[in-house]
Amino acid sequence: MGNSVLKRSIMKKQIVAISGLLLIGFLFAHLAGNMLLFGPPEGINEYAQKLQELGPILWLFRIGLALTFAVHISFTLWVALENRAARSGRYAVSNDRGGTDFATKTMVYSGLLIAVYLLLHLSDFAFGDHYGEATIVAGAETEESLGLYGLIWNSFIQPWRVVVYVFAVGVVGLHVSHGLQSFIQTLGFANDDVLPVLKTVSRIVGLLIALGYAAIPIYMIVRHYTIGIGA
Amino acid sequence: MEKTINLTLKVWRQANPQDAGRFEVYEAHDISTDASFLEMLDVVNERLEREGKEPIAFDHDCREGICGMCGAVINGQAHGAEKETTLCQLHMRKFKNGDTLVIEPWRSKAFPIIKDLVVDRSAFDRIIASGGYITVRTGQAPEAHTMLVPQPNAEKSFDAAACIGCGACVAACPNASAMLFVSAKISQLALLPQGQPERWDRVRIMVEKMDEEGFGNCSNHYECEAACPKNIKVSNIARLNRDHLWASIRAKLRG
Repeated sequence: MGNSVLKRSIMKKQIVAISGLLLIGFLFAHLAGNMLLFGPPEGINEYAQKLQELGPILWLFRIGLALTFAVHISFTLWVALENRAARSGRYAVSNDRGGTDFATKTMVYSGLLIAVYLLLHLSDFAFGDHYGEATIVAGAETEESLGLYGLIWNSFIQPWRVVVYVFAVGVVGLHVSHGLQSFIQTLGFANDDVLPVLKTVSRIVGLLIALGYAAIPIYMIVRHYTIGIGA
Repeated sequence: MEKTINLTLKVWRQANPQDAGRFEVYEAHDISTDASFLEMLDVVNERLEREGKEPIAFDHDCREGICGMCGAVINGQAHGAEKETTLCQLHMRKFKNGDTLVIEPWRSKAFPIIKDLVVDRSAFDRIIASGGYITVRTGQAPEAHTMLVPQPNAEKSFDAAACIGCGACVAACPNASAMLFVSAKISQLALLPQGQPERWDRVRIMVEKMDEEGFGNCSNHYECEAACPKNIKVSNIARLNRDHLWASIRAKLRG
């Protein structure tokens, strides 16, 4: 039994599951903060400011989050490559039996899409210029920078950005809709009674995450074309 | 009156493990709807033999759905589309006159194709041999009532023990994972008092063996449960996952 425990199939998946649950936790925390975008610009700006003031703690958190992503992605790819190798050839006809669903079959692809979008998202907002010209909102009461709020507003009054964002958070929701119940099953907490309930709960959580995030750009672009930012 | 149908079969033909293999098309005429799928193949094979051609090789034994020898993927579904049915118990009345059936062997690296539809499933035997047993002293059988088994555990253990090791779970899994099979073999013993002494070693040894044989990793598609002719539940996989987790922690604690 010289084999490392980490190499065992079940362990690898449990690492994917635990890192995935941490990321779902982050999604909820991030969404809670984002709800401030429904309020006045000062709300989110002060929140962002407070986070910045945490200094080293914020960086500790960022590094932890980045590591969680790295572990989640690398172990998944390891498992996925092994799975590909385990099939000796494709079936000429492939036909599902009603066990799997769209979200499950596309986990690797939805995950990769999220990873790509995440990089865009970070460069747009987290590491974007929170004070520059892009944060000045045309038609606002003030001609001064509206900070992070202004940056987000200026992004989300552009229809194509709204479409990309809503699509991206839809993919996140799809990923979570399988991921949550998969976590419970892989850690071994499921049984015949709870698994069907878990599948439904998991889909609802995925839907809530997608709707919660999608509401923000939709609110902003609707407001832009109706009452405007100033009202 | 007996009803007959005509079918077109696209069958995977592979002379030996090294052969690349290909599909060949056969017409199956005047097949009784009372025939089982294997009897239909028998009819086709008799005709092939009369024509001096090589019959289609397929595995079979009891033809009662209890031995686990038969199995092929019919139109992309292991053992065909009927629920909880082995290939030998699939009847031709489930098909329509003029249907085209694509017949393939289980496709998994851990189950090398021997010939046509016959695959080598000895990887399953090696997993069982690695740890799927209990140690019992020989001698007089003890009085049955000295070992108490809770009724729910007896039921679940027996449900798991219904696994016939046919390999449909591996065939149906997009990852060619053997988790449903291994979880059934783990569960049937883990739920009974007799299985306890070796429980935590067994799960680690059998999972290690499963990985070594080249099966894929479970990614919770649950296609295995849907394809299983004996309705083995994926809750067994959850039990395997938690037993393996605890066994690994326990091994670290004990050093």
